[in-house]
Formats: sequence, C-alpha cells, structure tokens
Amino acid sequence: MELPSRWVFLLFLLLSSTKAFESEVDKEEFQEELLLKPLPDRKVLAHFHFETRAPPCNSNGLHHHHLFPKSISQMVEKFRVKEMELSFTQGRWNYERWGGFDTMSSNNAKPPGVELWAVFDVPKEQVDASWKNLTHTLSGIFCASINFLESSSMYSAPDWSFRQASGSLRYGMLPREAVCTENLTPWLKLLPCRDKAGISSLMDRPSIYTSLYYSQRLHLTSIASDLEGLNLGIVLEQTLTVVLHPSSQRTGLTHFSQSYLQPSWSLSSIFGRKVNGRCVLAKSSKVYLQLERGLVSQLKKSENYGADYIASEGYDGEANFELSVNPDRVIKEEHSRNGISSSLLYEFSVDKYSNSKPFDLGLTWKFPVIWSCQQAPLHASRFLMGSGNERGAIAILLKSTDLNDSSLVANSAMDGCELRVNIFQVVPWYIRVYYHSLQLFVDDQLKAVGAFVEKIHVMPSKDKISPGMMEMVLKLPCGVKSAALTLDFDKGFLHIDEYPPDANQGFDIPSAAIGFPDFHTSMLFPSNESERKSPMLSKFQESSPVLLYTEVLLVPLTTPDFSMPYNVITITCTVFALYFGSLLNVLRQRVGEKERLLKSKAAAKTGRLSDLLSRLSAKLRGRSQEPMQSASESSPLINSKLALKVLLMAALAVAWQYYFG
Amino acid sequence: MAEEISESPNDPPPETPPSPPSEPEFDSKTMRKTKPGLKRLFLTFTVLVSFLLGFPFLFKSVEIYRSPLPFHDIDILSNDVVSNPILFPCHFQAIFVPSDPKSSSIDTTGIARNLCLSLYKCGSIRAVDLDFSDDESVDEALESAGFDFGGKVYSVVVVVNGDGVEGVKVVVGKYRHAWIVGRDWGVEEVAERLAEIFVKVFVNGGREEGLIHGEFMPVGADGRIVLSFNLLNADPMDWTYDWDFQKIDETLLAPMIDVLGPIANISVESQVLYYTPKFTFSSWDEKLGGYTLSTKDLPFFVNSNEWHLDTSIAAGGRSKILQFVVYVPSAKECPLLLQLPNGEISKTNAFISPMWGGVMVWNPQSCSRDSDSELVTLILSPEDLQKVFEVFAGQFRQLFGLKSGSLHVGSLDTYSLLASEKGFTEWELDFLSRQHTCFNIHSSATTLGSLSKLVQSLPRMIIMDEIGKQVKFSLEAANLARSNASLGFYDASAVSSRQARSLAEDAFFHPSIMSVSYYSFEHCFAVYSPFFLPVSMHVLLAALREWRRYKQEKAKYLLWKAKEKVAS
Repeated sequence: MELPSRWVFLLFLLLSSTKAFESEVDKEEFQEELLLKPLPDRKVLAHFHFETRAPPCNSNGLHHHHLFPKSISQMVEKFRVKEMELSFTQGRWNYERWGGFDTMSSNNAKPPGVELWAVFDVPKEQVDASWKNLTHTLSGIFCASINFLESSSMYSAPDWSFRQASGSLRYGMLPREAVCTENLTPWLKLLPCRDKAGISSLMDRPSIYTSLYYSQRLHLTSIASDLEGLNLGIVLEQTLTVVLHPSSQRTGLTHFSQSYLQPSWSLSSIFGRKVNGRCVLAKSSKVYLQLERGLVSQLKKSENYGADYIASEGYDGEANFELSVNPDRVIKEEHSRNGISSSLLYEFSVDKYSNSKPFDLGLTWKFPVIWSCQQAPLHASRFLMGSGNERGAIAILLKSTDLNDSSLVANSAMDGCELRVNIFQVVPWYIRVYYHSLQLFVDDQLKAVGAFVEKIHVMPSKDKISPGMMEMVLKLPCGVKSAALTLDFDKGFLHIDEYPPDANQGFDIPSAAIGFPDFHTSMLFPSNESERKSPMLSKFQESSPVLLYTEVLLVPLTTPDFSMPYNVITITCTVFALYFGSLLNVLRQRVGEKERLLKSKAAAKTGRLSDLLSRLSAKLRGRSQEPMQSASESSPLINSKLALKVLLMAALAVAWQYYFG
Repeated sequence: MAEEISESPNDPPPETPPSPPSEPEFDSKTMRKTKPGLKRLFLTFTVLVSFLLGFPFLFKSVEIYRSPLPFHDIDILSNDVVSNPILFPCHFQAIFVPSDPKSSSIDTTGIARNLCLSLYKCGSIRAVDLDFSDDESVDEALESAGFDFGGKVYSVVVVVNGDGVEGVKVVVGKYRHAWIVGRDWGVEEVAERLAEIFVKVFVNGGREEGLIHGEFMPVGADGRIVLSFNLLNADPMDWTYDWDFQKIDETLLAPMIDVLGPIANISVESQVLYYTPKFTFSSWDEKLGGYTLSTKDLPFFVNSNEWHLDTSIAAGGRSKILQFVVYVPSAKECPLLLQLPNGEISKTNAFISPMWGGVMVWNPQSCSRDSDSELVTLILSPEDLQKVFEVFAGQFRQLFGLKSGSLHVGSLDTYSLLASEKGFTEWELDFLSRQHTCFNIHSSATTLGSLSKLVQSLPRMIIMDEIGKQVKFSLEAANLARSNASLGFYDASAVSSRQARSLAEDAFFHPSIMSVSYYSFEHCFAVYSPFFLPVSMHVLLAALREWRRYKQEKAKYLLWKAKEKVAS
C-alpha cells in the first residue's frame, strides 16, 4: 500500500515540476494555423487549426476568462468532461483520392452529419445523466439538434474498439444532420478573434460551403492537475477541414496540355479573400503548405530527368512550381522508415502582413505532375443486400488497396503476417440485426468466423431502449485480397409517433468505423525548439491509429398511412355499430305479427300496384305466390330463412372484424 | 339466438280467428285477450341500462390523471396578498442626549407620541463626549454602545448643542443609527426631522420616486443572481486591455455577495471579449475634447450582434444574469464621453439598464496609438479597476432600487449617508429584504393564481403529482414567510418567500405542463362517436318503440279485461 502512494507522490512531484518548468507564463493562449495541401485529383485541402489553452488554476479562476471561451469552460466544469469531440461534416472524405494513411485522414475525416463522443470524469452510474445534459448544452451552443442524442436509443457505450475508456465513454451519431453557417457561427464565436481578423477571416461562407468536403470539429481535453480533479486545464482544439476545387487559372505555359497540368491557385482564388494580418490575440499565426510524400518523390524524379536537381534543402520543387510568397522556413519530415522521400512543409508566418500588405499565397504549376496518395491497408465499403420491406442484410467489404508499401510488409512481417482490423458499428434498434447470422468471406470464400475473429463484443438492441452495437477485431492474413462480413436483419415497426417527418425517405444507419490498430500515422519533424510550439505540427507528430469511416446506409422501412388510426377507428366502429344495431332489431322483431299485418293489408288493399309489389316480394323470397296459404304452414319456413340471414350477417361481421379490426 | 327468434312467434298472441262465440264484442284491432309479453321490453331495456351503466366505466377509462390542486388555498393567498398586504413591524427609538442637562427642555415623550412610534425606549448614552465632526467614529461608537436590544431597532440620536457643528447636521450611519446634531430648534422641527428619517430613510430605503420600480427585483426565480463581468475591447488592433479579475472578485465583490446572502445567492464570472464595436456613432465635440454620445443614443449602445455576452451555462435555468460591461473604445473614438441631457459630461461615464445590467465606458489614459510599437496586452491598473468597480457597485445598488450617492435631500436639509465598505448598509439590507419578501410573496401568489386559472380552464390537462406537491409546498412556504414577516424576522421570511417563489415557478414551468400532452375532449369525441352515436340511436329507438308498443298492448288488454268484466 505504501509503495503506490509513494509512487503517486513521486508522479505528482514530477508533474508539478514539469508544470513549473512549462508554465512560465501561466496564461490562456491562442494559436491559429492553416495547412494547405494540393491533392492528386486537382483539389486543394485547407485545414484550419485553432487551439486555445486554459492553464490549470484553482476552481475560482475557472469563472474568469481572458481568451478561453466561457461557455466551454463552464460546460467542462459542470459536466466533468474529460475529453470530448464534436464534428459537423458535409460530404464524404474520398479515401482513395485524398489519402487514407495520413494523420489528416485518420483525425479529420469524419462521418457525414454530426458525430459526438465524450469521456466523463464521473462515477459510472452518472455518466448517462451527464451525457444527456451535455447533448442539450451542445445543441444550445451550436444551434444543432444534438439533443436528439439524448435518448438512450441513439447513443452507445463502446468498450474498446473505438477508444480505450473504461465505461465512461459515450458515442452518438446523427447522420442526417444538415450542416450550415448556423453551426459555423457559434463555432467561430469560441475564437477570440472570431472571423474578424487573422486566418479565420478567410472563411468566406459561400466558398467553404460549396466545397466537396466540409468538416468542422471541436475537440477538447481537460487535464486535472491535482488528484481531486479540481484544478482543470483545458485544451480546446477547433479544426475546419475543407476540400476545395480551384478553378484553374490560365498560365502562360501552353506547351503542355492544360488537362494534365494541375490547376494553379491562390488563397484569393479559392477563398475569395486574403489574410489581412494575424489575429492580434494569437500567440502565433502560421500558414503551412504541405507537399506529401508521393508528390515530393514525383517532383524529385522529374527534376532528376531535368538534370538540375538541387541536392541541398531548399525549394526542391522550384522547377516544377512557383510560390508567390517566399516561405519563411522549409521543414522536411524525417522519414523514420527509411523510405524514398519525405513530405515537405513550407512555413509562412502571417505576422509580417497587414491590411496594406495582405497575405495571398499562390501556387502555380509549371509542369504536369501525377502522383497518388498513401492508402490505408484495406479499403472499406458497406452496402445493403436484399429487397423488400421485411428483411435485408448489411455487408462490410474490405478490399486490399494493392499496397506495395514497404511499411505494410515490415509491419506484417513483425506480426507473423497478420492484419488486424477493428470494426465498430452501431445500428438503430429498428434494424434488428441477427448477430448469429454473421458470415465471413475471405477472398470470396466462406470461412468460419471463429478462425478470424480475435475478439468480439456484441450488444443486441433493445426495442426503443438501446441500439445494437458490434465491436470486433478481425485478424486477417496480410496477403488478403478481400474480406466481407454479412449480417442479416429484420426491419422493425415503429410506433406511429416515432416516425420522422419525412419517413418515406428512409432511415439512416450511421457509419461504421474501421480501424487498423497496427498501423499508426505520424510525421516526424526534426526536433527543433520552434516546432514544439506549433500545436498543429505536434498533433501531426502524435502517432494515431489509422481509422476510416464507411458510408451511411439508407434503409427504407414500411411507412404507414399516418391517418390510419382514425380510419381504422371509424371503420371498425361503423361495422360494430351496424352489427349491433341489426342484431338488436332482429331480436325485437315479431315475425308472426308482421305476417299477419301483411296479410291484412293485402286483404284490405287490392290495388294493382300493391298486388304487384306483394307478388314481387313473394318472388324475391323465393316462394311461389300462395296468397291463400295458411299462415301456420308458412311461418316455420320464414323463420328458418330469417335465421339463416341472421347467421350470415353474424358471419359477415366476424369476417369484417377479423380482417379489418 | 336463432332459436330464440324462431321461438318468438309462439310468444305474441296467436291469431284468434276462431274467436269463441260467447264474447260477441271482441275487436282484434283494439283489444287483446292475452297479457302483452314482457320479453322484448325487458331485453331492450337491459341493453339500454347496461349501456347507461357502462358509460361511467368508459369515462373512468379515458380519464386522465390530475393531481388535486388546492385551488381554494391559492385563491385565499392571492386575495390575501391584494387585500391584506404584509405589515412589517419596525421598531424605532429616538434618543435625546442633551449635552447640557440644563438646556434639555424638550419634552421627549411628547415627540414620541407625535410620531406614533411602535416602540419607544429611552436609552442613555454614557459617552457624551463624541466628536461629531468625525461621522465614522460616531457611528462606530453608537454601534458599540449597544443600542440594539436584541431585535432590529432603528434609533435616532438627537444631540442638542453639539460642539463644533454649525447649523443642523443630519447623518445616517452604516448600521441602524442616525443622529441629528444642532442647536436652537423647536419641537416641531425635531419631530419633522425624526419622522422624515424614519419614514423616508429607514423604512423606504432612501429611494427616490420614479427610480426603478419595486416590481423589478433583479433576482432570478430560483433566488439566484449571476454577475457576469465583461471587458470589451472594441478594436484589439489599437490596444487590448486585460484585467486581473480574480483579485477584484476576492477583495471587492466577496464581501458584497456575502452581505446579500439572505436576499439572493450570487455567483460571479468574467470574460474578456474582443472586436466588439458599439452600435451607435458618436460625434466629435471640440469643446469637450472627445467623442460624445447623448442619452437618447444609449438604448442603441449595446450591440447584441457582436457582444457575445452569453447566458451562463453555470447558472440554472431561471437565474437572473446581470451583465456588467466595461467598454474600451477604439482609437477612432477614443475619449468617448457620455453626455447628459443638460449638456454636461457624465461623471461616471456609465449607465444602467434595469433588469439587464450596467455599461461603463473606460477610456485609456492616452488615446494616441503608437503604430510602430508592438501590440501588447495591457493590464488595467489596480487604481483604474478600483474606480471601475466603485461605479459597478453603485450600478448594482441602483439596480436594486437604492441610491448610488451619499447624500439624501430631505425636505428640511440634506442628510449625509455613510457608505459601508460592503456596499450595502444594514438598514438598506433590512429594507431590501423587506421589499424582496413582499415581491416574492406577491410573485408566487400571482404565479399560483395563473396556474390555477390555467388548470381550471383546461379540464383535460394532465397534472402530475409533482406539481401538486410543489404547489402545496409553495403555499406553505408563502404562509410561513407571511407569518415570519409579521413577527419581524426579516431574514427568515426572505428565505422562505424565496422558496415559495421558486417552487411556484417550478410548478408553473413544469415540463409536463408545457408539453402538448393533454388529451382534448374533441379527440375523445372523434374516437368514440363512430361507435356510440349509431348504436345509441338504435338502442334508444328500440327502447322507445317497445315501451310504446307495450303501453298500447296493455291498453288493449285492459280494455278487453274491462269488457270481459262487464260481460261477466
């Protein structure tokens, strides 16, 4: 017992000493950065990264803020959020073309709609209550319907596949949430300069919302510096990732066909705005231009052919492209795996620019370059099988990306040629998945599931209470070409008031997350004092497992006619009333008396018309006209007929009730 | 059933064509020999009666749960509040200290009778050698002399022939004392002054008419206030200011919050905002050497588009948030001055907005900007902050309806009011808690009244048990507050009145009331009428017909009977 406490004390000492070393300026600070990256398919990626830090201070200081947004800090304090991420995304990240094996895709490629996960620092039984309150608060802050995640059928508690967090993690997705400026404005409100100055002033709403991919993310981590968890330090990381399509500018070069040449762009051409100086409140304000590994190696190759290759570090690609602004620094990635080439980062500091001299970075290509992105080990897609409104099947297809990356070989060699894949999937309760029907096809051959599954955790859905959740670790041979998982499901029926307004559109199944725990992406930069300060680069240096999201599935469910309850009520009631009324009438009918009355009438009136009528009615009754027949003889006949009719009526009523009731 | 029907022809009177010849006057149309059958009548009436018996069960089954609310008690409370306002007993005493025993010719008991004071105790002061030029020490001396007899007694010390004082000097202290020092006066004059001090200052808190109305108590329905302090930098490109708020919170605000404890639960938060221009334009005034903003532009000063003052997450749903804003103008509008309607410049350079908070414009020392110098965040100096918070304290007092100045202009002369370092003097706090109690009880009575009206007007609205409980407790707390108030326990009555109000608001804003979950009678009718309307027609008509027929047949039978009797 003594040893651990001493350890804790030591740890605490260590922590406090590092704290003292680090926090020379114990103040809130804000940093803004922008990363631009040309993509192989003639697009440009812009990644805004803002970081606001609140240093740990005593509980009283939590109520007084200088740069850090008050609402976020109050929220963290009130709900004891340890870590949280909220993303609003429009469009789908194209893993094949924009890369699936870099920090950008595994951290910033998000499923469409809203994704929220949070880890709480509260006892386990209070986690759900905190989550519910948090969703309401966030929906208030971000003007979004995040509060729909409140109901327990909308969120799940993954154990290990999504993130390691012993029971205090909650995860929810709203695939159909529309994302627009009304969500961006409150997000910008959390920045001290909003979009009034600095890099964020580039966010021209029409140009960023017409982008191919838009993802706005908020990630916060709170660090309790003392053991009681009273002194909270919060790191708020806000990123906005957009993929833009630059309209190609005409260049003077005509000897290459324009179609091969990458489009040239500048900040003003893709955003329609320029940066008029930094946000004065930011500690640093930097713009980076990243050339990824594939591109750099292609450039080097072409330059080798051109024989004017400059060996020194500098503007490696100067011959191929031109930058309108000279970079302040060039950072070369240290490739750890002795690969062929490493990516390049050009750093531009916005500090020098002002209103009179705005910063407008432009990139002009001179020669055509074709390169490709690094792909994730497997490409994942998910689709629906089957037809009709009753049942179907979900299939997840993992396809090899023909990766001849040395890293994979190296990795797999270490693991004894095994490729581990994490699958995390949440399915709403009205899709009743039969987990026993799980089938695994490896290289198009049906295989026993047990042979490939290393670990599986299934939480079957409970109707209207909790969604179904599946966590799974697959162990595939590294030479696998394709692997497919299928799961059968039945479609459930919803209660009439559980249908959304546009029920005929179908229901969304949120994206599944596919992770590759053996593959980590990180970029290593030469350890320099200045790099340590850049939050975006330090984020890139952190090793993060490769993660990708599949498509959202749209399942059509049987939708009722919503006026049905009233129709049913009216019809059954009318039938019942008819049945009841006729039964009552029959009960109190006096057949003998009626007959007598009829006869006396017939005797009294001998008009032609009445005679004809009586004859007709007699014919209808299927009886030859026997006017002079005695009543004693005819009455039993009538009685049996009547009884038959009543029986028929009753049978009809029962049939109605059976089919329509 | 078919059997029954097939049997039925046996039941009605069989045809009687072979009528016995012994009864000559039998007419089959108007008479009958057999008793009319009761079978069908019995059947139809059974159906009718079972339907009628079934209706209560149906109503019971579609009934919705309504917790019984004490409507009568609510009515009593709201009537009581209007007709029978709370009376707080206040104890006053006037003490006459003749500096020269020989010259004390004033009949003190007479004055007491004139003033109709509820309590009069004549104390004696040992220390007659008070230095009346130093108000603070006099106040402390009076407090330490122990004039309070346990309860809250307001006392006025009348010192005749005070040395070193010219004319008449009236001072109201920090505690519950006031003193009048002077010479050469008549009984009426003294009586009038005493009355004025008691009524205007001690009872009415020295407030002026036409200031904020008493109904606007800036306390949330749950008895909480959040003071949100904001430092707004209009344009950080010119300069940015920051403050050390935590120190202010600890040194200046904490005592004030502590003192206001019985009235409201106050929490404090602060933030600094940037790029927050004001909404109106100011004009350059050459004479004053600054940009001026007249009073009529003030309603448009607060720029709600750019000032993200935010409601607080830390505060509960119904807390009151008071915003206090320090506005640092940009270099373009640097000495920004607020101009009073009479053309003068506001001394505080600040204004309040009732129930919202206060705004203060703080101009930097030098308005010229060094364009070359590096932009650094400047910290407001402690002296400046002290000044700013003095203004805020005054604004806070004003929001509560108290005077912000230290002088009270009476009918005879001006009284000087000693300010407490805690922001509120004790007699002011007494006044506030009295007013607060009244306001809370009034508000809870009106809330409960509207709740009962609402509930009674919607007979098919679900009312949860919780609402019933809240209403009950709210009524209890209100009654407790009233009884405490009449006994003179200000603090206790303030606390329970706060409870009454928050419970009443909780009941009124209960989520189950807000939701559209009530099941209207129209809906009930629409669901059940397709069955019950046609069926009831059948049943009623059948019953009616059978009854009529039975009567007819009975008459026929009776006629026959009579005939038979006559014949026999």
